[in-house]
Amino acid sequence: MDAPGKVTGTALYAADFALPGMLYGKVLRSSEPHARLVRIDAGRAARLPGVRAVITAADVPDVRYGGSVKDERVFARDRIRFAGQPLAAVAATSPDAAAAALTAIEVVCEPLRPVFDVAAALAPGAPLVHDAWASYTALPILHRDGNVCNRARIVVGDVERGFVEADRVFENRFTTSSVHQGYTEPRAAVAQWDSSGQVTVWSNTQLPFEIQTTLAEILQLPPSKVRVIVPGIGGGFGGKLRIGVEHFAALLAMKTGRPVKVMTTSEEELTAAYARQPATVAVKTGVTNDGRLTAREARLWFDTGAFAGSGPGVASVATLMLAGPYRIPNLLLEGFAVYTNKTNFGSFRAPSGPQANFAVESQMDIIADALGLDPLELRLKNIVREGEEGPTGQVLTAVGLEECLRRAADAIGWRDRRPEVGRGKGIACGWWTTTGGSSGVYVKVNPDGTVALNTGAAEIGTAALTGAAQVLAEDLGVQMADINVVSADTLSTPFDFGAQGSRTAFAVGNACRAAVADLKRQILALASKHLGVEESALALREGSVVGAGKRATLGELARISQASGGGLIAHGTFVAPPTPYDTKRVEGHVYPAFHSPSFHAHATDLSVDAETGEITIHRYVVAQDVGFAMNPAAIEGQIEGGVAQGLGQALSEEIVYENGRVLNANLTDYKMPTARDVPRVESILVQHPSLVGPFGAKGVGEPPNIEPPAAIANAVASATGVRITSLPITAEKVALALRERAK
Amino acid sequence: MTFDYHEPTSVREAIELSARFGGDGRFLAGGTDLMVQIHRGRLNPRHVVSLQCVPGLDGIEVDGAVRLGARVTHRRLESAEAFQGALRGLAEGAEVVGGHQVRNVATVGGNIVNASPAADVVVVLLALDATLTCLGPAGERTVALDGFATAPGVTGLRPNELLTRASFPRLAPRSATVFLKAGRRRAMEISIACVAARVTLDDLERCQDVRIALGAVAPTAIRARAAERHLEARPLTDGLMRETGRIAAAECRPIGDVRASARYRALLVATLVPRALARCLERIKLGAP
Ligand SMILES: Cc1cc2nc3c(=O)[nH]c(=O)nc-3n(C[C@H](O)[C@H](O)[C@H](O)COP(=O)(O)OP(=O)(O)OC[C@H]3O[C@@H](n4cnc5c(N)ncnc54)[C@H](O)[C@@H]3O)c2cc1C
Repeated sequence: MDAPGKVTGTALYAADFALPGMLYGKVLRSSEPHARLVRIDAGRAARLPGVRAVITAADVPDVRYGGSVKDERVFARDRIRFAGQPLAAVAATSPDAAAAALTAIEVVCEPLRPVFDVAAALAPGAPLVHDAWASYTALPILHRDGNVCNRARIVVGDVERGFVEADRVFENRFTTSSVHQGYTEPRAAVAQWDSSGQVTVWSNTQLPFEIQTTLAEILQLPPSKVRVIVPGIGGGFGGKLRIGVEHFAALLAMKTGRPVKVMTTSEEELTAAYARQPATVAVKTGVTNDGRLTAREARLWFDTGAFAGSGPGVASVATLMLAGPYRIPNLLLEGFAVYTNKTNFGSFRAPSGPQANFAVESQMDIIADALGLDPLELRLKNIVREGEEGPTGQVLTAVGLEECLRRAADAIGWRDRRPEVGRGKGIACGWWTTTGGSSGVYVKVNPDGTVALNTGAAEIGTAALTGAAQVLAEDLGVQMADINVVSADTLSTPFDFGAQGSRTAFAVGNACRAAVADLKRQILALASKHLGVEESALALREGSVVGAGKRATLGELARISQASGGGLIAHGTFVAPPTPYDTKRVEGHVYPAFHSPSFHAHATDLSVDAETGEITIHRYVVAQDVGFAMNPAAIEGQIEGGVAQGLGQALSEEIVYENGRVLNANLTDYKMPTARDVPRVESILVQHPSLVGPFGAKGVGEPPNIEPPAAIANAVASATGVRITSLPITAEKVALALRERAK
Repeated sequence: MTFDYHEPTSVREAIELSARFGGDGRFLAGGTDLMVQIHRGRLNPRHVVSLQCVPGLDGIEVDGAVRLGARVTHRRLESAEAFQGALRGLAEGAEVVGGHQVRNVATVGGNIVNASPAADVVVVLLALDATLTCLGPAGERTVALDGFATAPGVTGLRPNELLTRASFPRLAPRSATVFLKAGRRRAMEISIACVAARVTLDDLERCQDVRIALGAVAPTAIRARAAERHLEARPLTDGLMRETGRIAAAECRPIGDVRASARYRALLVATLVPRALARCLERIKLGAP
């Protein structure tokens, strides 16, 4: 539904949004990674031409906010915790004038001993990133300790016994890099206050209702005084979940009495946004000689940066991913979110998925090689199946994993795994959740028979609202073209948990089903009265109610209702039913089970240049269990995009840090793949209908991003015999590893 | 970022303007280097003198010597009929610059004067013994491309001089050129290392004339002179080509940076030089009547 506008360039994005008299805001960011902030003097900047306001910590309420741990402030107050942390903001009549003013703000600070990575942060005697961490408000469930802002844990059985039962025990360590979501539209917000003291913020956030809450907290207003509207989103992938620039726009607009727009630069995106958490993963797995997994002890440490942000939750999800989609009787799995003096890394499409999957799926191949087993056979021997338990005891249903593995392997020609020297095939599989949360919709029939769908969710570009509208059209018996969507306005649309976690089409679609059920009752009752036909003899078909040779169009009925009863309108809601799990198995866990899980396998065929290390991908196949394919073309689009992003993480993308500063904060040296780097992606849609999703659908948006790093690593190992255990797998790493081996 | 924009309509006017502005002025061709540098605050010219409407700077002439006007775009180099044969290396250098949008506007002159060590087309022109024609208030002079760049971003172009063209002699029979580039992705990529080779064989299949030029492995694009000498009057055997690669790797002076380590860059030179030579050999054989 949103595609024609986007293709023809008429779609409106938040970055396009402008108001008369609008000022431009820019943010002064720290160049020091860890320091005591001694003094900040904005006097000279405030007097520069075009400058209308300069604000620092002294000008804003002293509020600490954060979803899981309240550890972050709008501006650094006395302590700077990462290079890129906001220190001040300027509003001026042009972006250039605002930028010029930033350079005129004087900052005096005294450097402190920093911790730049997880190892340094966990070392005995390491400086604390937050001295007062223990006094912060936080989710009570978290296990926090100094620089660790959560340790999530799953314990099943007895791993020590499991290792004793094993014939072989494998221990491997993997590392991954921070990567940016690469959305094409930078984060942008325009804020305007009205005379009643209400602020309206137009933003490209994925979560308007969360931003409303956070803004209310920061501005110390009741949430009803904050209205957040999403005019459009040019990509988000998790990077636009948490507050970005909305608060700067709102505070500057309050100070100046004029609308203010704030938009990030590429440099800000790469130094001070919510890029994916870099991870270190240690996996120890016990296995019998015939390939049965007996135990796994795995730890994953996320660098969460200066603030907790999504870290504690993502560390929790990671533990489920460390189990893999495997039946392992003894587990000790831990996910840590660790503070460092870096930007607050965050959620990125399938948060924790690629990092954990890269580790455990690489190790599956290491095990298969060592035991002389086919990697596909090893997986088939251990994967979870229908009715079995997930790691925390949830009962798994609609498990399409074996079909995914077999079909991906067949499609890639698995039997001929090393067709020539320097060429090899790799496979990787995984599972993922369809995030829960609630959704509400209003569905209204217009007097011309068209239907308005009013939802609090935002269309993020996944066609999720198209999916929801399809559900609505199907149930109500109307054409897609007759549906108009109004979305994402905290004042006028019903609540929605937001565009995250592969849930929008799933949850909004189900809310539509509930609304249609109510609407149908209203329509049939009215039609029965109007046509003089028993309700039971009436049916909804192609935009009309028909029965006993009579017919009334929806438009007619809407007009009658408007004249007599206030119109045809229904409120539908949905909340994913809780997925039962064994509470005794988890600790510090904010995401203990995967709702309506999806299953997937990726397979690739590639060649490696033995001298330069350059990798050429010949084919890439994805078999994904989508439950029910509501919109196959849109799902294939999600798979292709997810793989393209995944290949970036696998092969070329990396935010490079040196002493807490980013060395490649520009799009010349931060290497997202181009059209020439991404092969054609072949999609196989496997359909094992979920019990809860509309028509059996499962979440599809995030999963394609999970397996590419592992699939590539396994194919490179198959092609060369060299195992790369850190991401990205650059040509340089491969070439140098081949050199080392030749010695 | 503010500057006055000027659009002269003749070479003379362009030079006059730039003489007037002195160090405050900059020529603008495609702007793909200049505008990025201005945006990133690395340059801050008060006057920008566009070459867009200056006639006579965009010719490709191939009668005897080859002359490329400074404003010839990479797109034109890659699609010119003249560079599909023995001069194929020039098209190969041009066709990997940036992406389509960049190549449609970015120019040969800009590539040369910007003096990046990783300028792809400069590396090919070095292998072709190109000379440059510079025109200033004091008149015209011709200088060798080799040695023109003295450090990253620094050239021997005098203040107020305009680069009008790059020229190189026509190739002898039994010649071929090749350009190879390594980078992390296949487009929009600054070379981690690149190599241009030009080979002319004599009737006994020995190297009569060889040039090997390297990019991104020294403060400027360079010729690998020791490697060239090593091939003098010898037939291009596999072993010799590999040795030559090692010699070239030993004479380059790469740095390690966020794009690649020095070690990997040297390894690429050792690999790409023999590949470029072998491909030249192949092309000469294919092209031979
Ligand atoms: C996205 C992107 C990708 C790129 N990829 C590559 C790549 O793969 N390989 C590569 O080599 N380069 C690459 N570049 C760099 C750039 O495109 C090339 O160096 C290009 O040839 C510059 O030409 P231009 O006409 O745009 O130069 P401009 O930016 O207009 O000028 C560059 C400099 O030369 C001066 N100048 C220009 N013409 C003249 C003249 N006739 N006389 C005197 N001075 C002059 C200008 O004052 C300026 O200082 C890339 C750039 C971008 C933005």
